[in-house]
Amino acid sequence: MGNLDMADFDVIVIGSGMSGGWVAKEMCEKGFKVCVIERGREIVPEKDYTDFEETWEHEHLNWKSEQTKSEYPIQSEVYAFHNYTKQFWVKDNEHPYEVPDGQRYRWRRGHHTGGRSIMWGRQTYRFSEIDFEANKKDGHGVDWPVRYADIKPWYDYVERFAGISGSMEGLDIVPDGVFQPPHDLTCAELDLKKRIEEKFPGRKLIPGRVANLTQPTEEQIALGRSVCQARNHCFRGCSYGAYFSSNSATLPAAKRTGNLTMIHDLAVHELDYDPETKRVTGIKGVNTKTNEGVSITARTVFLNASTIPTAMILLNSKSDAMPNGLANSSGQVGRNLMDHIICGRASGRLPGNEDKYYYGRRPNGIYIPRFRNHTEEGEGFVRGFGFQGWGMRENWQRGSGKAGIGEDFKARNRVPGAWSIGLVGFAEILPNFDNHVRLHQTKTDKWGFPIPILDAKHGPNEIALVRQAAKDGQDMLRQAGCVDVTGADPETDIGSPPGDGIHEMGTARMGRDAKTSVLNKFNQSWDVPNLFISDGSFMTSGGCQNPSITYMAFSARAADHAAKLMKAGEI
Amino acid sequence: MTNFFMTDRRDAIKALLAISAAGALSACLEGPADSGGSTTVSSAPTLSASEMALVSALAQTIIPKTETAGAIEAVVPATIQSLFTEWADDNYRTYWRAGLDKLEKHFVRSGGQPFAKMTASQQSNLLGKYDTQAFAENGFDDFYKSLKSTVATAYYMSEPGASEELAYESVPGEWRGCVPLSEFPKTWAT
Repeated sequence: MGNLDMADFDVIVIGSGMSGGWVAKEMCEKGFKVCVIERGREIVPEKDYTDFEETWEHEHLNWKSEQTKSEYPIQSEVYAFHNYTKQFWVKDNEHPYEVPDGQRYRWRRGHHTGGRSIMWGRQTYRFSEIDFEANKKDGHGVDWPVRYADIKPWYDYVERFAGISGSMEGLDIVPDGVFQPPHDLTCAELDLKKRIEEKFPGRKLIPGRVANLTQPTEEQIALGRSVCQARNHCFRGCSYGAYFSSNSATLPAAKRTGNLTMIHDLAVHELDYDPETKRVTGIKGVNTKTNEGVSITARTVFLNASTIPTAMILLNSKSDAMPNGLANSSGQVGRNLMDHIICGRASGRLPGNEDKYYYGRRPNGIYIPRFRNHTEEGEGFVRGFGFQGWGMRENWQRGSGKAGIGEDFKARNRVPGAWSIGLVGFAEILPNFDNHVRLHQTKTDKWGFPIPILDAKHGPNEIALVRQAAKDGQDMLRQAGCVDVTGADPETDIGSPPGDGIHEMGTARMGRDAKTSVLNKFNQSWDVPNLFISDGSFMTSGGCQNPSITYMAFSARAADHAAKLMKAGEI
Repeated sequence: MTNFFMTDRRDAIKALLAISAAGALSACLEGPADSGGSTTVSSAPTLSASEMALVSALAQTIIPKTETAGAIEAVVPATIQSLFTEWADDNYRTYWRAGLDKLEKHFVRSGGQPFAKMTASQQSNLLGKYDTQAFAENGFDDFYKSLKSTVATAYYMSEPGASEELAYESVPGEWRGCVPLSEFPKTWAT
């Protein structure tokens, strides 16, 4: 172990996003010297955040030009991609990947401090016992090595620090947490809630749970964070630090310990492995600006590069001892790639409440937790979907698609329009060995790293969920008294292509044994004890909940475990 | 999440416009006889003085100055010019030029002179009729619908359009989900 004692750092964390930020904070606070390696550039809030750009300051009416679309053909489709947020998304032509003929995969990402924690949708729902038991019950994938009781204290721990706004509901499908006050529902949403819950006793409509501060704690204020200003500009970066990101929360907490070294513009290409000690000893990478090769050593490595790159780095770290890639004795690295399918879109108008409105821009909406295969049966499929949604009044945009000019046109747009209701489902994708990431045999990016081939398809269970969501969404709105209801076709809808949910998961799953899984229950590699992975790749199943809070909880727990092993001298 | 939907809807509108734009464009390319054969569509990346006069007159007629600013006060024509010169590609420019040309010919035919030279009441009368027909009859003039949408967007996203005509709060400070409309009677600009 002599060479490890001479290591540059105690811990290397690869990736500064949602999960890497947490590992950095936890390990720094426990007194370890931590090096966070970020492949992207350094975000400078004063320069990169555009949250004070007024509507009339947007370039070209915020329309994307053909040139922008050609540079960002995949990223520019994202709801959070605008002319004023381009800086947070990769240029697709610089970061290519391939998909097999006839398939699609939409891979959305940003390379910079904080990764996607800057642009995330901030919806926050715990996994429940039902999710942790799902694989065992229906036989898809492998059994999670943990249950809700193992993770609950860690959800509490990360929520308290991150700051989650939500309501206590007592639902088993999305357990309550440590919440700051919820966002009010709009008048129409209150009506919708009442009607849906009357018509469907097994369904609930609740305020979205979102990582925005509605009542900051002293700890959050001490980090320079403040209460949400209801601007709904979150994905531009928030100068108030009012939503959780690595940039606003975990990295500042790590930094103030004095134990953090942050390196930008360094793309990790492989992990160095010593077959004698069976340990990783550090990383090899390339400075993306100078093309210079870089090696850094550490006692322990955390891989938090995000689900696809984590698999790529492992697969690329081949050695005589590990010819199929590092930590891949199970053959599961890169496999079981999951996401959530966006589906079941339904919209309509809810009559009434014409004399009511709202104030501010809520960075949030409503949530209807999963009810299929839970409080209501699901015919011909396992698992389920939840709905996100909103009930807001139509604005001036409705006027431009209708007849009328002059004073009448102005007068009509000056008052808000009908209450418009929208729902969109997020459906679970089953773990499936065939859905996977592999490295291209010959093509590389401009830094010499093999590009990935993203090979994933929706199977029959996914399509059945998508169709049911399309049916349920519209049906729910009709039964609740909405008019002009339209939506996805329950006969033909195929949902969003893989990747579109921007919730990649599963390529280094945890499990109960080294034969069928990559990680043990503490996110520790079965094969390489000083290697931990706590980004989305550890997910044994995907649930239908937005997954970031689960990454956070497991990351904090994995760091705690790693620290104990390091202090005990075991790694 | 709310953004998700709003952007989505905006994109849907844009997608519709793009489709109709492509349709109109191919129609125009296939049938140059429609334009009388006498006009060559310019490829200059700037709207000419006469094109700008037409755009301004249309914008002003769609959104006139009342007790609040109109499209002219909200510099809508300049916004459109900058879209045209800095943002548009050749397809878009060709589409606009052909569309404006067709509109001008229509008004010359029905009103005897270029639209910009007419009196305000004649403009409002003729454009009112045209607008009604455009929204009643599918495919009557998709370019006009696109122009109207562009004018409205440029107006309601401008400072007077957003903050005087409509209601705008840069930093609301709080969210209140259910309040009387009488307290906030104007449409939120965003």
